[in-house]
Amino acid sequence: MTDLPLAAFLGLSAVLLGIGIFGILTRRNFILLLIAIEVAMNAAILNFVVFGAYWGGTPGYGLEGPSIAVVLVGLAATEVAVGLAIVLALNRLRGSINVAEATVLKL
Amino acid sequence: MTAIPWTVFVPELFLLGAALLIFLLDSVGFRWLEVFGGLATGGIVLALLAVLADLRFAPLAAFATVPANVVDAPWSQLGGSLVAVTSFGLVFQAIFLTSALLVSLSSLSRPTKEKGAAIFFGLLLFATLGMTLAALSADLIFLLLSIEITGISTYLLVGYTRRDPRGLEAAMKFYIIGALSAALSFFGASLLYAAYGTTSLYALGTTVVYLGHPPLDGATSIALLGYAFLIVGIGFKVTAVPFQAWAVDVYDGAPSDVSAFLAGGSKKVGLFGYFLVFLVPILFAGRLATAPPACPVGLCVTLHPDFGVPLQVIFGVMAIVTMTVGNVLALQQSEMKRMLAYSSISQAGYMLIGLAVATSPAIAGALLQIFAHVFMKAGAFLVVGAVAGLGIGSKIEDWKGVGLRYPYLGLSFAVMLLSLAGVPLTVGFVSKFVLFSAAVQAQGWFVWLAVAGLLNSALSVFYYARVLRVMYMERPEPRSAALPSGAVLGGSEPPLLALGGIGYGRAIAIGIAVVAIFAFGVYPQVVLSTFQNAANHLLQAL
Repeated sequence: MTDLPLAAFLGLSAVLLGIGIFGILTRRNFILLLIAIEVAMNAAILNFVVFGAYWGGTPGYGLEGPSIAVVLVGLAATEVAVGLAIVLALNRLRGSINVAEATVLKL
Repeated sequence: MTAIPWTVFVPELFLLGAALLIFLLDSVGFRWLEVFGGLATGGIVLALLAVLADLRFAPLAAFATVPANVVDAPWSQLGGSLVAVTSFGLVFQAIFLTSALLVSLSSLSRPTKEKGAAIFFGLLLFATLGMTLAALSADLIFLLLSIEITGISTYLLVGYTRRDPRGLEAAMKFYIIGALSAALSFFGASLLYAAYGTTSLYALGTTVVYLGHPPLDGATSIALLGYAFLIVGIGFKVTAVPFQAWAVDVYDGAPSDVSAFLAGGSKKVGLFGYFLVFLVPILFAGRLATAPPACPVGLCVTLHPDFGVPLQVIFGVMAIVTMTVGNVLALQQSEMKRMLAYSSISQAGYMLIGLAVATSPAIAGALLQIFAHVFMKAGAFLVVGAVAGLGIGSKIEDWKGVGLRYPYLGLSFAVMLLSLAGVPLTVGFVSKFVLFSAAVQAQGWFVWLAVAGLLNSALSVFYYARVLRVMYMERPEPRSAALPSGAVLGGSEPPLLALGGIGYGRAIAIGIAVVAIFAFGVYPQVVLSTFQNAANHLLQAL
């Protein structure tokens, strides 16, 4: 088995982050925005797993990576739960979850 | 190696206990606003006393829960612990708890019994818990997770009423920006982990040792990219320009008490993160020249990437741009809360000077500025909440005659604005004086930071003075519109202290802020020596 080069993983996580940020900036539907946030978060999680494996060769190093990744999965789930709570409240109040219609707070 | 005892978490346990008790009582159907408020305030006061005891303030020192050898222990002896107790962190804990105390006191007595009281006080406690945990961190991931605890609690806190479209929209914007900043911060942290192989704040930004391992290609650029992502990600929390656009909408749309907490507490967590993450690489640059670290075993590769001066330049430019943009935009605002929000952004610029200069007096000055900002800005938002509760509009011109009609609120607000502008005898003057003189002492291009700060202080006087003129010099128009229900007005002859309409808890909180502004303005030594100690010890421990 030939190992994939590290740069391939870094490239993948950069692409994930790019997709996520692009989605956060352009999506107008709050649910799709939540998905974009998840994708951006996954870039960091992937990096932690990959570099946990990379540093695994050094004594005393390498265990943090995968454990941090697990914690971040939990964090991402918490964030989405809070986001869905805000979506529900918005939908009850306005009957719409379109972000672009949120224009009360403008001068 | 210094072992960390569990007692370092005593303040957090008080907060957690109070929060869980509130949610427990709420879930069994016991809904009494005063009890929730009392529990929250009690928990925060106990936590604050524990932190002051750990800081070894004279009458409380006997109750200190953290052994003296653990406080400010060198980080090299922590053995990779996630938690470190520094007097710098303890000072920040005291600052966070003070702002939480002001907010919970002022929410104690509301005109009506609100349904969301348990949510409000519980989330306030959880947000404060996240802040105090962040102040203990010795690990980048621990720090970012604690900041996220604060973030997630405050997203919900902004929209906790669920009926108010403005609050809910502010919560939505805050959530999107917060989630984006979290993703960017953690991506930055993952890149730093890639380059250094550790997430300990003590090791990040110093020498990389590759032991039995091929060195990572382009480790320096990966680390640099990681720092860039962290500057952006945490910058959103600090509301540093150009990451400030959300803050004005959120501070404006949130309930005033929550705005007070955001400006007084949650912004400071970001600043604390900036200090903790970026002081090590900035200091490392100076140490590398004197004693370059050696390889522990024979065969290894070491890298000494030096980010010191570029980071200082970035934060210096950021400080100048932040204070200028905040002040110029504050000049143009016609809404009171938006004006205060922009002024809060400009104050963040002053605080960043401390990080750019990164000497012990400058850090002490930044600490004093952060401490003062709690009383000035959180107090000002509390007054705005009180005035809104009295049925006065949110525009600056609606405040005509407020100073004469409600002397207590008017005088308190005037004191807070004068302190924000930096008038002598107030704590705002002392903090700016210490900060700017530290920048001048540091010589070199840092002098320009002090010059920019002075010019901006002069500029800020214009918009504060405008509010004072409206409040005291202009006559109120005769009231024709119907007053909102719940508003209590003194009629044609207002009582001298019109406290009835604003609630005693809020009056006490505003009173504390005003007294603190004068007390620490006249006797700054009370806290300044502690802050200088904290700054010295931090620079030695790192």
